[in-house]
Amino acid sequence: MAKTRTGPEDYARPLRRFLVGILLMFLVGIFFLWRIDSPRVERFRAAIVDAVVPNLDWALLPVAKAAAMIDDYQSYTRIYEQNQELKRELQQMKAWKEAALQLEQKNARLLDLNQVRLDPRLTHVTGVVMADSGSPFRQSVLLNVGARDGIRDGWATMDGIGLVGRISGVGERTSRVILITDSNSRVPVTVQPSGQKALLAGDNSSLPPLEFLEDSDLVQPGDRVVTSGDGGVLPAGLLVGQVALGTDRRLRVVLSADYARLEFLRVLRSHELVPITDPGRLVAPPLVIPAPPVVDAETSSAAVPEVAPDGSDAPTEGQPDPAVEGGDADG
Amino acid sequence: MVDGIRDRAWIYQLIYVCLALLIVFMQLVPLRNVPGRLPGPDLLLALTLAWVMRRPDYLPVGLVGMVVLAQDLILMRPPGLWAALVVVACEFLRSRAALTRELTFLMEWLVVSLVMLGMLSAYQLICAIAFVPQPSFGLALVQVLWSAAIFPLVVGASQVGLGLHKPAMGEVDDRGRRL
Repeated sequence: MAKTRTGPEDYARPLRRFLVGILLMFLVGIFFLWRIDSPRVERFRAAIVDAVVPNLDWALLPVAKAAAMIDDYQSYTRIYEQNQELKRELQQMKAWKEAALQLEQKNARLLDLNQVRLDPRLTHVTGVVMADSGSPFRQSVLLNVGARDGIRDGWATMDGIGLVGRISGVGERTSRVILITDSNSRVPVTVQPSGQKALLAGDNSSLPPLEFLEDSDLVQPGDRVVTSGDGGVLPAGLLVGQVALGTDRRLRVVLSADYARLEFLRVLRSHELVPITDPGRLVAPPLVIPAPPVVDAETSSAAVPEVAPDGSDAPTEGQPDPAVEGGDADG
Repeated sequence: MVDGIRDRAWIYQLIYVCLALLIVFMQLVPLRNVPGRLPGPDLLLALTLAWVMRRPDYLPVGLVGMVVLAQDLILMRPPGLWAALVVVACEFLRSRAALTRELTFLMEWLVVSLVMLGMLSAYQLICAIAFVPQPSFGLALVQVLWSAAIFPLVVGASQVGLGLHKPAMGEVDDRGRRL
């Protein structure tokens, strides 16, 4: 004891080492548990986020607004040029508005003639973006709607114009949207005039590339990209964006959704999709072909059951269902 | 007077938890929806290492582990792995507190930077072994460099704002033991 130091005293040292060892084993154990039984830990995580983040909501919104105001303040400095610019654009917009109105009337008349009904199953729930992923390596946002609003995993999410992402992870009051720019996101798409199918693969950049394009000669920058509905992943025909040629000579997609201002998002109810039972998963098992009409009425109506919010009644398509009832609350 | 000193460790623990909350909160504010930006520093890591380096007696390892685990869960990282690495790094620095106490700040900074780099390497290695999808090494390296760059600021702010300094020669703790 001749030398004093900031370390603990001698008798406490082995005990301390033991406790630190236990703590480490606990933490590493959680990691292994997550790696082995990911759905359960992810559900636990969703429950934690669900419990914590909505309580911060009162503060998140003002801070976000204040930061946005500071950002905007810089643009006030050149307000005069902006004003002129806006006036010019307004003139152009008036012309466009006139054209749009005429087209709308024409369209309504044609729809009326054909007695077209828009798909009534595609209703939506609108949610407010509460928080983002908090990490520069993951692109996701947290919405303030969750299982109590009937949100389910796998549903498509749009802003007013284009596809934004998919629901992955639903809590009671919140749900997480994996954006299509996330490196885990793969969206089957169709490039519109040519009908080429491709996969839009997020890569953490604002212009995700098109992959597995059959014939890239038929695709030109400026083509419209919409979801194809392949694999039952997303409803078909949702606008995604426009093709652009990246600086690396790859075909990329300029997204229609305004990613700089994700504020209100629409979650499209799509009941016909295969429910995803794992919170962490993005791709559902392949869509089953609906039972042929030879079976009697009761079984065919039971083929598409109204599943419980946690998806435990869901048809498992011959795959073992990892979601075990009663394991939701504990982690 | 004595009570004030005795409570000090508790006060610093409380401040640490509050700062951690604030950091996670600022990360959650939905401002950075546009992808492809370079990542910023990991402030919580810099804060933790700075405090453990300067006053190991203020931060119990259990508290650090729990705080980082909570951050893991909320920020969608693989839960537990980063927390375990932070605990290991803290213990590494803590066991060398007697050594680092005499170092100049420049050396201290170097030690912390190397520890951060080691943590990143271990994290990426374990992620690769466990087949966990991970960010590219380059981007993660940018984040570590940022964290290392911001370390002097964190130390300065802790010292000026919170009065957190290395124990001086002959300073005694609340029970009258020499530090």
